[in-house]
Amino acid sequence: MDLKLTEEERLIKDTAAQFVDRELIAREGVYLKQQAPFLPPGAPAKRELDAQAAAELNERARQVGLWSLDLPENLGGSNMSAVARVLIQREFGRSVLPFRPVSIPRFLFETQYGEALADGTISLALAFAEAHKTGELSRLQTFYREEPEGCILRDSSIFIANPRADLFLFPAREQGTQRLGLFAIQRDMPGVTIGDEVELTNDWIVARLMLRQCKIPSEQLLGYEYEAGAVIASEQLNIAARSLGIGMRCLESSIEHARNRVTFGRPLAQRQAIQWMLADLSIELRTSTWLTLEAAWRADQELSYFEEAALAKKRAAKMAFQAADTAIQIHGGYGVCKEFPFEGFYREARLLRLLYGQEHELDRARGERFIEA
Amino acid sequence: MEFYLSSDEENLRKIVAEFVRDELVPLEPEFTNAPDIFEGSRWKSRVKSSDDPEIKRYLGIMEGLEKKAEVKGLWRLDVPKRYGGAEISNVAMIAVTEELEKTAIPFEFGNHVSNILYSCKGAQIDQYLWPCIRGEKTSAFGLSEPASGADPSMLQTTATPDGEDFVINGTKMFPTFADVADFVQLFARLPGTVGREGVTCFLIDTGTPGYRVARSIATLAGTEPCELVFENCRVHKSQVLGEVGDGWALNQAWLGNRRFQVGIRAHGQARRVLRVVADLVRHKAADRFAGRIGHFLGEIEALRTLTYLGAWKADQKMNVRSEAASVKLFATELLHQVTDFALEVCGPSGLHKNHVLARTFRHARATRIVEGPSEIQRHIIQRELFREGAAALALP
Repeated sequence: MDLKLTEEERLIKDTAAQFVDRELIAREGVYLKQQAPFLPPGAPAKRELDAQAAAELNERARQVGLWSLDLPENLGGSNMSAVARVLIQREFGRSVLPFRPVSIPRFLFETQYGEALADGTISLALAFAEAHKTGELSRLQTFYREEPEGCILRDSSIFIANPRADLFLFPAREQGTQRLGLFAIQRDMPGVTIGDEVELTNDWIVARLMLRQCKIPSEQLLGYEYEAGAVIASEQLNIAARSLGIGMRCLESSIEHARNRVTFGRPLAQRQAIQWMLADLSIELRTSTWLTLEAAWRADQELSYFEEAALAKKRAAKMAFQAADTAIQIHGGYGVCKEFPFEGFYREARLLRLLYGQEHELDRARGERFIEA
Repeated sequence: MEFYLSSDEENLRKIVAEFVRDELVPLEPEFTNAPDIFEGSRWKSRVKSSDDPEIKRYLGIMEGLEKKAEVKGLWRLDVPKRYGGAEISNVAMIAVTEELEKTAIPFEFGNHVSNILYSCKGAQIDQYLWPCIRGEKTSAFGLSEPASGADPSMLQTTATPDGEDFVINGTKMFPTFADVADFVQLFARLPGTVGREGVTCFLIDTGTPGYRVARSIATLAGTEPCELVFENCRVHKSQVLGEVGDGWALNQAWLGNRRFQVGIRAHGQARRVLRVVADLVRHKAADRFAGRIGHFLGEIEALRTLTYLGAWKADQKMNVRSEAASVKLFATELLHQVTDFALEVCGPSGLHKNHVLARTFRHARATRIVEGPSEIQRHIIQRELFREGAAALALP
């Protein structure tokens, strides 16, 4: 057992930490102070990263190898390990700025879309609605059947989190055989419409990918059961890692504020109510950190890791929510101000808990496996 | 980053797993109805001298297991090499206990030597350390007092120098097994000192004039810790363990060392409790309880990871105050919650005195107190947090 970061892992982590400090956290002030003057009073201010800043960040992230973490060597990437990806996403989680490395399932680089995805000329969205509920796809309601002239998709409507993307990856079951297939579909393909755009409380736009009488060439079928499981596990690790970053930032700021803020003649840091909130949070952060790293390490060792990734995501996301909640409480009025990052983390972490497996569903699945065993 | 055990550690783990499978698991039916003391380490108490043939029979089984374990080289695992032990790492010791905890048979590999006895010097080595390593002597640990528990720096027992001797006066509460121990590791303070200053550790033989075990005290957990009284108990200065006035560091070292074992024990116990629950609900209420069971299983896995992390950091000689406190707090609170849930599922029959859940229920409540209550653990964690900031959680 050697839980020290390797030289390479440390270098990767430090590079990401530096990028996040200098490029993201440094821009937070401007970003957070954006007002939404035309909204009615009380409506949440909608903030966006301005286009120029986004382009600059894309460029700089590319320069230091942080734009897409999944790129294979032949397309200019570095075959990054799962542990390294966790270390990086964890750093990005520390900033509330809506910028992070793009996440592209690795097997897609071996398909017809590989090069376009690698150089960023097309963007990808995952349409794994069912997985958001249960963390797996056993109750998937999207079906297809294969015919000589292509795959016919049964009419369906799938929740998607990034409706502006060019390409959508979604799972479907073959009628009869129940075999799971992963399809990529372009937004301009016949039978595809995207509608019902809604804004979530954490400023994301979500929509529905609607398939009506949709027939696509068989080569759009890009993966099967294992690839689908790996996509889910990899997204769970991303969420877990991002949650760790949220936890770190909230804990650090809360310690700092508690040291400086004085009430009734003593700093908050000397109040047991404050001390215990942070002590409890630190335990959750520490355990979730190592569960996440262990799951990622298992992925790198090609050991089974889907269950571990699901647990890491469940605990880490819950911890992130607790962290944001604690930070808000300790910062008091400042905690809920939009000029501070904590309310943003609070909204984000609440959503992370609902993605790629709701807590009660993940618990239920784990419990059922144990009872059956 | 590497989570695999080393090949030596993995081999040891396999040997222990085989021992558990071949020697302990087959005894499970027999131990289901064993006298209540055969839960945890209570069979090492004065029950050992019982005349009850039933208890004698079980003690015979335990002794037979000890011999088998010794033959397999599973003895003196955590004893340093210079004393003929295997000196395995903290991590390996956790792996060993993890395997042992897969069964409820209350067996552990010996001989566990109170770690501070390695500070023995000169004649103390032959008089105390070696006999403990050989299993000929056992010790008790006298730190808490009627008016000082969670905060041991308030201890009032005095050790007054008098020529070549110290004269000890005071009362100690709750040393477990003091009534069967051959000597006690006693903490007392030099006159006129307060707090952590002047605390000194003495090795005091049972039977020394002025030292008596006043009584043993029945507890919820079934253990019977003792009350020790020292009245003008005169001990020679050669009985000081370590240096005069250096006792504080020793008591901290003793406490710190045990935390990670507490973690892996609770891990195993909690899993066994959930196994009982799973068997109860499998055919009638799996739907209703699967979620809660799954939740606790996840928490138990988290405890395991945290425990290995702490043990590994301890092996690297890193500061593990936070990890040790986190493991103690997390483990004991979790075991308590799991057991409480199990009883809720099981109903009143789970409280039958000899029911495995009832046993765990009584045991689990006490673990949130002994060796530092949960509140003290939170205090230690926050102190490290405010001392070091978020760096207290930095990756190694």
